[in-house]
Amino acid sequence: MAVAEPIISPLVIPPRQRTARWMRLGRLEKGGLVVLALTTFVAVAAPLLAPHLPNVPLKVGPFSPPGHGAVLGTDDLARDILSRVLYGIRASWFSALVVIASGVLVGGVVGLVAGTAGGRVDVVLMRITDLFLALPGPILAIAVIAALGPSLQHTLIAVAIVWWPWYARIVRAEVRAQAVRAHVDAARLAGVRRVRLAVRHLLPAAIPAVLVTASLDVGNLVLTLAGLSFIGLGSPPPAPELGAMAARGMPYLLGHPWIPLYPAVAVFVLAFAANLAGDGVRDLLEHQ
Amino acid sequence: MTAVLETAPPRSTGTVLSVRDLRISFPGGVNALRGVSLDVGAGEIVGIVGESGSGKTVLGLAALGLLPSTAEVSGAAMLGDVEMLAAGAEDRRLARKRFAGAVFQDPMTSLNPTMRVGQQVAEAAGSMGAALEMLRRARVPEPERRARQYPHELSGGLRQRVMIAMALAGSPALVVADEPTTALDVTVQKEILKLLVELRGETGASILFVTHDLAVAAELADRIAVLYAGRLAELGPTADVLSNPDHPYTAGLLAARLQPESPRGVALPTLKGEPPDPRAHPPGCPFAPRCALAEPACDDELPEPAPAPGHAGSVACRRSGEPTRVVLDVYERPRPQEDADPVPALRLGGISKSFGSRRNSRLVVDDLSLEVPAAGAVALVGESGCGKTTTLRIAVGLERADTGAIDVGPGGRPQLVFQDAGASLTPWMTIGELLEERVRSEGLAAKERKQRAKDALALVGLPADVTSRRPRELSGGQRQRVAIARAVVVPPALLACDEPISALDVSLAATVLNLLSRLRAELGMAMLFVTHDLAAARYVGDRVAVMADGRIVEEGPSELVLAAPSHPVTRALVDAIPRLEAR
Repeated sequence: MAVAEPIISPLVIPPRQRTARWMRLGRLEKGGLVVLALTTFVAVAAPLLAPHLPNVPLKVGPFSPPGHGAVLGTDDLARDILSRVLYGIRASWFSALVVIASGVLVGGVVGLVAGTAGGRVDVVLMRITDLFLALPGPILAIAVIAALGPSLQHTLIAVAIVWWPWYARIVRAEVRAQAVRAHVDAARLAGVRRVRLAVRHLLPAAIPAVLVTASLDVGNLVLTLAGLSFIGLGSPPPAPELGAMAARGMPYLLGHPWIPLYPAVAVFVLAFAANLAGDGVRDLLEHQ
Repeated sequence: MTAVLETAPPRSTGTVLSVRDLRISFPGGVNALRGVSLDVGAGEIVGIVGESGSGKTVLGLAALGLLPSTAEVSGAAMLGDVEMLAAGAEDRRLARKRFAGAVFQDPMTSLNPTMRVGQQVAEAAGSMGAALEMLRRARVPEPERRARQYPHELSGGLRQRVMIAMALAGSPALVVADEPTTALDVTVQKEILKLLVELRGETGASILFVTHDLAVAAELADRIAVLYAGRLAELGPTADVLSNPDHPYTAGLLAARLQPESPRGVALPTLKGEPPDPRAHPPGCPFAPRCALAEPACDDELPEPAPAPGHAGSVACRRSGEPTRVVLDVYERPRPQEDADPVPALRLGGISKSFGSRRNSRLVVDDLSLEVPAAGAVALVGESGCGKTTTLRIAVGLERADTGAIDVGPGGRPQLVFQDAGASLTPWMTIGELLEERVRSEGLAAKERKQRAKDALALVGLPADVTSRRPRELSGGQRQRVAIARAVVVPPALLACDEPISALDVSLAATVLNLLSRLRAELGMAMLFVTHDLAAARYVGDRVAVMADGRIVEEGPSELVLAAPSHPVTRALVDAIPRLEAR
C-alpha cells in the first residue's frame, strides 16, 4: 500500500476574504433599501408612532388643514390623516407580505414538484398553473367578495389565487435549468435521494430569482391592493386603507387637497421604495 | 474581390505590436500583468504560453484595446501607430479596424447566432464578394453554401475557420488568437494550426497566439513567450526555448507534459504546489515557492528579464545560467493490485443508444461491447461526437441504454469524475456537506462521516479545513481534487473519468493523472477513462479502445495501439498529437 511520496503535493488554501456586498451597491439602491427598512419599521410600529387613533374624530373638527392640531390635517369626519396614513401603510405592507408569502409557498412547492418530477406531472401541474394565470385578478376579487362579503382577508385571498402561479413558473424554470447541470448528476451518483436532491441540490438555485421577484412584487402588490381598495374592494369603512382613503377623499381634492393627496403620496413612496429595494436585492444577489 | 487587398493599410515594416512595461490590475486586487514588455514583428507568430491566471488573455485584450473600463493600466501598448492604452474608445475601434483581427476560443459565442455566416464576414470584409473570397482563403469548403448558413449549422472547426476569415477580412497587421483550438478535437486543431501558418505566409499578418499548451504554441510560433504570474518568465525563439529552456518554469512545463513516449512505469513529473494567488503575489520571484533551484535570495527580489545564457532570447531568473533541465523529481508509479477478482468491474454487452424523437433520431452508441477487468484500466478514446461520453454515462447509470446488457461487478455503484470538476460540485453547498452526503448512504454516525470526509481530503492532498469552504472559494485544481475525493470517499470498484484533464494546464493535468494512478493502486479500483487525447489514454489505460461513430474501431494493449495503429481513425488521432519537436 505504501507509495513513494510525495507524488501529490499537498495544497495550501489561502484564508477567506470577503468584501462587504453592501459596498458594491449603487446609491439609489442603497436609498431604496434604507427607505424600505424605514417603511417596515413604520408598519410594525404604527400604533406607537401614530399620535391618535385612526377612527376617532379630533377636537379640531373636520377639514382642518395640516399643522393646526393635526400634522397632516383632518378629513371630512375629523379623523387625523397622519394616523390614518400610518395605519394604512401598516395594512398595505402586511397585506403585500401575506400575498407574497403565500405565493412563494404555494408556487414554490408546485414549481419544485413540477420541475423535479418532469414528464406528465410537470405538464399537468403547469397547465393548472396556466389556468390560474388566466383568471382576471380584479374580477375574481369582486366574485370572492360578492360570495364571502367585503373584507381585507377576502381581497387578499382573491389576489393570492392569481399571484402564486408566477412563483410556480419561476421556481420550475430555475429547477429545470439546474436539472441538466453536472452537479445534479454528481449528486445522483453520490446516492442522494429524490427529496434531498430537490431540496438541497435544485431548490437553492431558485432562491435568488424568487427573492428578486418577491422584492419587486412588493411595489406591485401595494399598487394592486390600493387600486382594489380604491374601487371599494377592500376592508369596509372606516378601516384606514390608503386606496380607500384616496378614493373617499376625491370629492375634496380641490377644496381640501390634503385629504386624498397624503394617502396617494404614501402609496407612491411605498411602491417606489419597494421597487428600488427590489433592484438592490437583485444587485446584491447577482454579485455572488 | 481584389478590393480587400487594395484597401490594406500601409504595412509598417518592423514592429506591429509593441508592449512596454505593461501593468494591469482589476478591482478586487487582482494583478493580471506586472510589467511585461514584448514586441511582435511584422509577419511574426509569437506564442504566449501560460497557465490560467498568468495574464496571457489580458495581454491579448490590452493589445486589442478591449480591456474593461474598470482595469487600472500603466505602461504602453502600441498597435501600429496607435497607443491603445491612452486612446479613446473611438480611436481604439478605428485602430482595431485598421490593424487588428481577433479569434477567440469559442466561435459559437463570438459569432452572432441570428445572422448568416456570409453576412457576418461581409460586415468585416466590406462586400459579399469579398466575404466569399475570405471564406475561400480560410479553406471553408463550398463557401457559397456555407455563407448562407447560420453558425449553429457549422461544425466547431468550420466556425473557427469563419472566425479566422472575419479576423483576416480587413487585412490586419496583427491577429490576436486566444486559445483558438482549445475547444476543438485534436485532428481539427492540427488543421487550424496549419491554416494559420499558411495564412500568415499568404497575408503577412503577424499572429499573437495565446495558449496554455506549450506544445500547441510550438507547432506554429516563431518565438515563444512564457508568462508566469503576470511576468515574462522566458522569451525566445521557439526551437531554443524548447530544446534549451533557461527558466526552471519552462523546463518544468516541458518535463510535465504528457507525451506519447512518457514511460508508463513512473509517475509523471509535476511542478509542486499551485501558481500564486493573483491578488497576493510574493515580493520576490513568483515561481520561487515551486522551484527546485530556488535559493533564499529568490524570495527577496523580483528578477528582471535579462539576456538568456542558453539562447537568443531573455529570461527572468537569478539562476538561469545553471542547469535547469532536470528540475522535477521522478517517482515510481504505484502499481495496481495484481490479485484481481476474476469478475470484471464492468461488462457492456452490445449496448445501443439513440437520442431524439422517433422520426428524427440519431444513433449515438451502436452495438458496443466493452469489458473493464477488476482493478484494470481501460481508456476509451475518440473525437467529440463519437459517443464515448454517452457510453460512459450508460456505464455509470446516468443514462439508460436502449438495448444491451450492462453488468457492473461487485463493489457498489461506479463513480464518475466529471470533465468540469467545478461544475460537478453543487455551488451553494460546502465541501464537507458534499463529501458527507456521499458517505451518508453508508449509514455512519455524524462523527464518523466527518472523519471519512477528512480522510478522503487527505488522500487527495487537501487540508481538512477545506470542509467549511464552498466550491467557488477554491482554485480549479483544488476543485478537481475535491471532485475526486467525493468519487473515492466510498471507494468504488469502478471509477469512471470523463475527460478529467482536457481543460487543465499541463502541470495540473499531470498531477491529476498521478493522483488517479495512486488512488487506483491504493483503493484497488478499476478505471474507465474517457479522453480525446491518445497520449493520456496510453498512459492511464492498460488497454485502449478507440471509438468512432458509436462503435469501437480498434482495441488493444495501450502501447501497441499507439505504436502500431491499424484503423485510420486511430492513425489520424496519433498523427494529431501535438509534439514538442514538431518544428
